Amino acid sequence: MMTLIIGGSGSGKSAFAENCIGLLAEGKKKYYLATMQVFDKEGEKKIERHRRLRSGKGFLTIEQPTAIEKALTKISEKDSCALLECMSNLVANEMFSGEIPGTEAEVTERIAAGISRLKEGLEHLVIVSNNVFEDGRQYDESTMEYIRAMGKINELLAGMADRVVEVVVGIPITVKDNSSGTGRKE
Amino acid sequence: MKLIIGGYAQGKLQYVLRKDPVEAEKIWDGQLPENGNVAEGKIILHHFHNWVKKRLAEGGCPEKEILEFIQIHPDCIIISDEIGNGIVPVDVFEREYRERTGRILIELAEKAEEVERVICGIGQRIK
Repeated sequence: MMTLIIGGSGSGKSAFAENCIGLLAEGKKKYYLATMQVFDKEGEKKIERHRRLRSGKGFLTIEQPTAIEKALTKISEKDSCALLECMSNLVANEMFSGEIPGTEAEVTERIAAGISRLKEGLEHLVIVSNNVFEDGRQYDESTMEYIRAMGKINELLAGMADRVVEVVVGIPITVKDNSSGTGRKE
Repeated sequence: MKLIIGGYAQGKLQYVLRKDPVEAEKIWDGQLPENGNVAEGKIILHHFHNWVKKRLAEGGCPEKEILEFIQIHPDCIIISDEIGNGIVPVDVFEREYRERTGRILIELAEKAEEVERVICGIGQRIK
């Protein structure tokens, strides 16, 4: 099963996602797929905050800033659950960490294929993604390409997902729910 | 306390006033009433995000100040733009403003009896 969780910055999406995987993964191995690369003090602080929120919740962390499907090589049990956080970092890493920036099409295809393999290899996959679409600003072309890639990927992931939830001021709003039989509704 | 959120120019104040008429002098735009300057009855804090930004720029602690305020005014209505749905700004202050406003709104939403999200002038009750 796959759940996509989307929200803006400071929306409470991470806390909700961690709760969500906690309920889904009872009694199973629970992985945290970390995609953020740290370049400065602020990044360290952000990661520190997330680690603190996760501490004691039994996550095994896998650092996977690019090529997300490779996380599977570090997961042995087929009934494992994983929380991937955050799609916005993964897309930025895939797009901008090579010598030549990846195009929207390349990045979209690569990530969609990677996620599709992850989904098959796991019992539950929860993905956190970011709403970067509503500030009405016009950025430079590479940023606009990044935003378009994010939009396309969110759309593809929402298609694959059994459940899509938007988090607004900490409140979950269900956008899609085909996960009948799990008995969990928001 | 009620919390009303939504994008820019979605008709949030008009929406609130349609349901709950409040006199103009009880609507505080981007600011909190100063001590001793508070009329009786229900108060609206409009453009709440602007107040947060102002307090951050002044080196204040909006987290603490707003919690104190709602203790004194438990029946107030807080209206705020949603500001977190964009590309994370390069500017440090802008980034902190978005992050801290988001966290404050989560806390207010937790404490609110009602949370509504307004789009196209229409409110959706989400709590």
